[in-house]
Amino acid sequence: MTYARRALAVARKDVAVERRSKETLNALVFFSLLLLFVFQITLGADRDRLAAVLPGVLWLGFVLSALLALGRTFLVEREHDCWEGLLLAPGDKSAIYLGKLASNLVLMTVVEALVLGLFVIFFDIDIRRALPGLFIVVALGTFGLATVGTLFAAMTANVRAREVLFPVLLLPVQVPVLLATVKATEALLLGEPLGAVAHWLKLLAAADVIYLVVSVLTFDVILEG
Amino acid sequence: MPDNWSFVAAAYGVTAIVLITYWWRLVRRERELDALRNRPERRTSRQS
Amino acid sequence: MIRTLGWLSVVALVAGLVMSFGVAPREVTQGTVQRIMYVHVPLVISSYVAFIVLAVASFVYLLRRDPRADRVAHASGEIGVMFIGLGIATGSIWGKPTWGTWWTWDARLTSVAILFVMYVGYLLLRGSIDDPERAARFAAVLGIVAALDIPLVHFSVYWWRTLHQPPSLMKPGGFTGSTAILWPLLVNLVAFVILYAYLTARRARLLRAEAEAVA
Repeated sequence: MTYARRALAVARKDVAVERRSKETLNALVFFSLLLLFVFQITLGADRDRLAAVLPGVLWLGFVLSALLALGRTFLVEREHDCWEGLLLAPGDKSAIYLGKLASNLVLMTVVEALVLGLFVIFFDIDIRRALPGLFIVVALGTFGLATVGTLFAAMTANVRAREVLFPVLLLPVQVPVLLATVKATEALLLGEPLGAVAHWLKLLAAADVIYLVVSVLTFDVILEG
Repeated sequence: MPDNWSFVAAAYGVTAIVLITYWWRLVRRERELDALRNRPERRTSRQS
Repeated sequence: MIRTLGWLSVVALVAGLVMSFGVAPREVTQGTVQRIMYVHVPLVISSYVAFIVLAVASFVYLLRRDPRADRVAHASGEIGVMFIGLGIATGSIWGKPTWGTWWTWDARLTSVAILFVMYVGYLLLRGSIDDPERAARFAAVLGIVAALDIPLVHFSVYWWRTLHQPPSLMKPGGFTGSTAILWPLLVNLVAFVILYAYLTARRARLLRAEAEAVA
């Protein structure tokens, strides 16, 4: 099987598993609704405070959902004793990484679209003008989270205190991505043009490239056994 | 501006205490391992 | 060799102390508290050295799988975390009388805090893996990712905040403080880097002894 085919096979399998069980998706949807609810309780009445805090809370929702989704990347393999199968897979193991990355991206995008949609509806936010810019920021940010997240998920899959260690490792490393996306989202929602956040976009793009290259190059090392 | 010597003492003090404690624990652990290494060697030489 | 480093660091640190309190002038606006800078800045910069050494050692380990490289990375990580932790503590103690608060989310303190948490994570990862070979491999990957992240952290935080006086040493313009401050600072910086080298070498040697004791 060629490299690309293998990656695609992994991605398709994961998406199919998720579509059938919807385990992760359900948890994420429920969590997003909870976040929305809490946000409404604390800030719903005060429109100004709400608008000021919105970018941060939006990305908080994205990130926490990402942690849940990414943390479960290798759950299926671990629980159903398929881990050895991964280790013994022939050829370049980074194909597995790309496949996992792809399925994570799909999952995260679905959840983010849902969260964003809910926020827009329930808090009556007009994002039409900001939408194209927002799309780029969210895409870049999600990619950054997913690349490192998938790598770290593999790293922590079989260690002690996995559930605690994964976010502890991922979040500090992702602070630049979080800063960039929140500040850029804030500016865009205030009506600023895309050019005004160019430096943040460049940072995100640079981060994405660095993370992807390092992850692809080092994934084999993690799966050496 | 008042002199705030207590803050200076606190900063230097904390630094000194932490560094010296770390160094001392290194030394102690080294000695432990040295002792462990020497004792079984002496036992085997007595047996031979 | 290690013992020489040890004595050298003691001498250098004493020299640094003398310069901080005897030679350095009393600062006009801040008073005596400013002298904390002579430990705070060297601690932070030495920790950067530690993390760079960690990254290089991690890279070497992945290429050659030499356990010595792994031990250097491990030791460097420990001392780096200790130094940067002390950097945060001294920075905070310096900040209280100067800015009136123990903590502020300005560029430098925020970056340093993020690095601290990142490398504590590095040590936690090592601690969570029992198999030493696996721990070495995974830690090496994390060490490289963390090091690559440092410039990203630096820029993102700096763009986000510029309350703190722009770091005089790291800014492109160059150092703007007076030379009377520069010399004590440099002496202390050299002293702490030597101390870092000594402690790292000693810790790495202990790691080898521990590995041999188990074998």
